[in-house]
Amino acid sequence: MMTDGIVSAVKETLITAGSTFSEDKIRAYQRAIAAETNERAKWVLETILENGKTAAKNRTPLCDDSGIPHIVLEVGKNRAVTGEMLDAIYQGVAEGLREMPGRPMAVMGSDWERIDQSGGLDPDPGALAPAPLLMHYSDVPDRLRVHIAMFGGGPAIRGKTYRVFHKHSAQVVKDEIVSWASEAVAQLGCSPCTLTIGIGRSHYEAASLMLKAQVFGNHDVQSEAEQEITRRVNETNIGVLGLHGDTSVLSTFLQIGPQRASGVRVVCMRPSCCFEPRHAYTDL
Amino acid sequence: MTVKHLTTPISDADIAALEVGDMVYISGEIYCGRDAVLPKIVRMTEDGSIAGTGIQLEGGVIFHTAVSPAGVGPTSSNKLEIEASIAPLSKAGIRLHLGKGALHSETVDALGKYHAVYAVIPPVTALLGALTQEQKVVAFPEEGMEAFHSLKVKDYPAIIAAAHGRSIYDD
Repeated sequence: MMTDGIVSAVKETLITAGSTFSEDKIRAYQRAIAAETNERAKWVLETILENGKTAAKNRTPLCDDSGIPHIVLEVGKNRAVTGEMLDAIYQGVAEGLREMPGRPMAVMGSDWERIDQSGGLDPDPGALAPAPLLMHYSDVPDRLRVHIAMFGGGPAIRGKTYRVFHKHSAQVVKDEIVSWASEAVAQLGCSPCTLTIGIGRSHYEAASLMLKAQVFGNHDVQSEAEQEITRRVNETNIGVLGLHGDTSVLSTFLQIGPQRASGVRVVCMRPSCCFEPRHAYTDL
Repeated sequence: MTVKHLTTPISDADIAALEVGDMVYISGEIYCGRDAVLPKIVRMTEDGSIAGTGIQLEGGVIFHTAVSPAGVGPTSSNKLEIEASIAPLSKAGIRLHLGKGALHSETVDALGKYHAVYAVIPPVTALLGALTQEQKVVAFPEEGMEAFHSLKVKDYPAIIAAAHGRSIYDD
């Protein structure tokens, strides 16, 4: 694909990610609405689904916190990625942020001015730098796929990456995840969540697996462990927006990577909000 | 589920009639602010400099949101600077704080003391856009999307989450 084609495809993919519920997410909401017994929670679920339809129709943001772009590149063995292609991908991200439009929330200034936000905000939505790009080797030889996931601020406040002493029991790790998630979902305020979780050997690896969980997870395909985590967090009765009810969590997307010969596992748990994962992809 | 309609300025009688769990539709002029600007508004109420600015807090609503081309939507009201603004702004006349997330018990008590309530609004930016009729910057324009804004809104949907010393999160 030529540079202009990449820019255009990535721009549209970013707008889709920020404005559109995936088909499996729509089905997850429909199941939740049918099962919800709390009247207020059911109304909020219906409103969130209606918001999804309106945003998709208008191709405008699902949420005013339109998110920080996170890019995953899936590359098969017959494909190559050039610097020119990366340049086009970043250009497409910037154009997508301008057209959607994304929230202009790039913080300007020197290192410490950006920390205390004293350097002001850039009015250009396209000035928002994407997070460092993640490369994933695909076993589909001819695949070159660009995934974009938009990360909001609320789940970043409530998310956690930390070590767990597993005591040679997988159940210990699951129990810890349920404990973290129950506390996080209660504080988030934008439930129902989709819990996106990575378990790896370092903080970097666990966080990158959490990002892969965002782009590869599916509400219609849930493992036994994912179902267990979802069920146990839902038993807390936190509910939609914390208003109680049956639906604190829609699903759990879990990625377990290689593990170290050690008594420690590193877990990254993000209580992705009612709109996340905001994900779409395009094939180049 | 009881459904009520509120129009700003909200009266003490309106507040007295609200119960935790009520669904409300809010109309009229409301203010918007979050982390960056709410502490500044609090200071203005404390040093008296808010007089003469045209900002009318009595009977007012503060929506914890940024206002940007991406739209509006609640940020977490339990963020440090936002939650710390709820008691002093209630004392200064704000009757309804609109946001999301559980508040600490001290804040819930302060709301009751100053005859104010807290409501959660679904984060439905695409729908809220259609219910927002006007928007303008009222103070601190240098804060950009975090400036103190006012909106003219029609039927913003919300659920009363704290009132009269009670919180829906404690039930």
